[in-house]
Amino acid sequence: MKRVVGVLALLLAGISQPMLSQHAAAQDVSELKANSQVVIEYVEPTKPYLRSVYDRMKQRQFLEQLQQFLSPLRLPVTLPIRMLECGETNAYYQPSGPQRGLQLCYEYPEFVGRMAPAETTPEGFTREEVILGGFLSVVFHELGHAVFHLLDVPMFGREEDAADQISAFIMLQFGKNVARRTLTGGAYVWQAFYSGRSPWPRTLYSDTHGHDLQRYYNILCIAYGGDPETFKALVESGPLPPERARNCGREYQQIRRAFVDTILPHIDQDLMKKVQARDWLRPDDGK
Amino acid sequence: MKLLRSAAALAAVSLCVHATPTTAQTPTGLQNSQVDIAYVEPSNPDYRPIYERLQKRQVLEDLREFLAPLRLPRKVLAKIEQCGKLTRPYELGGPVTICYEYVAEISKLAPKERTPRGVSREDAIVGAFVQAVLHEMSHAIFDVLKVPVWGREDDAADKLAGFLMLQFGKEVARRTLNGAAYFFEASDRTWTGSDFSDTRGTEAQRFYNYLCMAYGGDQNTFKDFVEVEDGAGSRVVRPKGPARTDLLPARRVPWCVKEYNELRWAFNTLIMPHVDQDLLQKVRARQWLRSDDGK
Repeated sequence: MKRVVGVLALLLAGISQPMLSQHAAAQDVSELKANSQVVIEYVEPTKPYLRSVYDRMKQRQFLEQLQQFLSPLRLPVTLPIRMLECGETNAYYQPSGPQRGLQLCYEYPEFVGRMAPAETTPEGFTREEVILGGFLSVVFHELGHAVFHLLDVPMFGREEDAADQISAFIMLQFGKNVARRTLTGGAYVWQAFYSGRSPWPRTLYSDTHGHDLQRYYNILCIAYGGDPETFKALVESGPLPPERARNCGREYQQIRRAFVDTILPHIDQDLMKKVQARDWLRPDDGK
Repeated sequence: MKLLRSAAALAAVSLCVHATPTTAQTPTGLQNSQVDIAYVEPSNPDYRPIYERLQKRQVLEDLREFLAPLRLPRKVLAKIEQCGKLTRPYELGGPVTICYEYVAEISKLAPKERTPRGVSREDAIVGAFVQAVLHEMSHAIFDVLKVPVWGREDDAADKLAGFLMLQFGKEVARRTLNGAAYFFEASDRTWTGSDFSDTRGTEAQRFYNYLCMAYGGDQNTFKDFVEVEDGAGSRVVRPKGPARTDLLPARRVPWCVKEYNELRWAFNTLIMPHVDQDLLQKVRARQWLRSDDGK
């Protein structure tokens, strides 16, 4: 692992060793203000089956929490974030036009809640982490697109992969418990999507997104690369092949460097520490 | 492929490294003292003609000249050798390795006749080789310059290689990108299950990515790479006759210009600061490919 010197080391200390002691460092919620550039809206769904998702999200104050979570991020323009009924199971970032901003469809958490395994799977995926991680990974993925666009982030790789990367990276910055409850759940959803989309027509390889299973393994690899101790079961008894696992530390370092060099300069360090110190998840989330 | 018979043979091979001194003067005056090169003699006699041909063509010397404008903070070794497999992945710290096995594969897969998309055997050979060299070199560049890389590094290396291929005029772009794309088209295979845990994209993905990069970089020159000329999304105008599998599907076409602009932004932001502009002009003015390359 490359050593980072000077100022970056100090910055990285906040990232690579997240403050985990929630009890000691738990912040008063009122200390975190909403990011004034983030404009939220819950659009009432028309279909009855989505009503419970709408109610749950509002009650949980999901978008309000997201506004606070994003408080350290310095944005050049406003970022609208909307939860709405879309007519399909998806989520979007629209860079321009009347629907500019994040569109988070109720259909997505509804779908994830339905397809999450009733019991823990043989590979070790729990129902709760699929429900939580499946939803959060998509929220952070779309947020990734927004950040890449609004901050003009230079990017050599594919943007869809980068959005998966930043999503997984974020979920690794809040301690082992958060990582374990969210990260692999995000991966599971791709494996589940694949089962519904197989066989894969050759022309689908031209899509801007990777193959579902590539995304699945990528996320597992980032988890293992970022925290091999917490996620060692992924390799020891789980689905991540050793040949890939060997490279995951290097891949995680690459993502960390990309984040530190291209995103961190736009982040208020003091606010970031507060955000990292806070307990964002509740015991009944994902249930 | 023959295995080495003894440790002595192994020792003999490892000594037979044709290394060109880094201070060699070139006719153009272009050089990069941070780039070391080596042609390692193959133990397998099947690869000997490749070794001799590449040396004679001075491909690594050309690479070093090509890299003249790049300010590298430390040395990079680029070598061609027998690997025992098609590729030897770049490890942090280097070296950059091109395998004789890969070069042999390029020739094996190159079409005997010009393909429907207009790929000649020579272009297939030249383009795939240039792609391999620039791709492997890109890994070293990301490493040595500590470039922040979002996305998968292997895709990033494909992208940087493709970008470079587009900076030297239509003819070079056409020859190299045609060949690069063709190699992946011809190496297409079925992936299943844990195959997808590979750090590299599938051959089909890399094939389509190169078509998209080419079209995004020069829609005019590469309009025959794509299924729909005007990038009109779902309005696909399919030519009569059997379905073409060697074109970029309409679903991707609308993204290509945007993707190329993002690639150019990445290059200008992350690589260009390390590039000497005067030397760059000289490199851009030089003729890199010869008419008999690939023959």
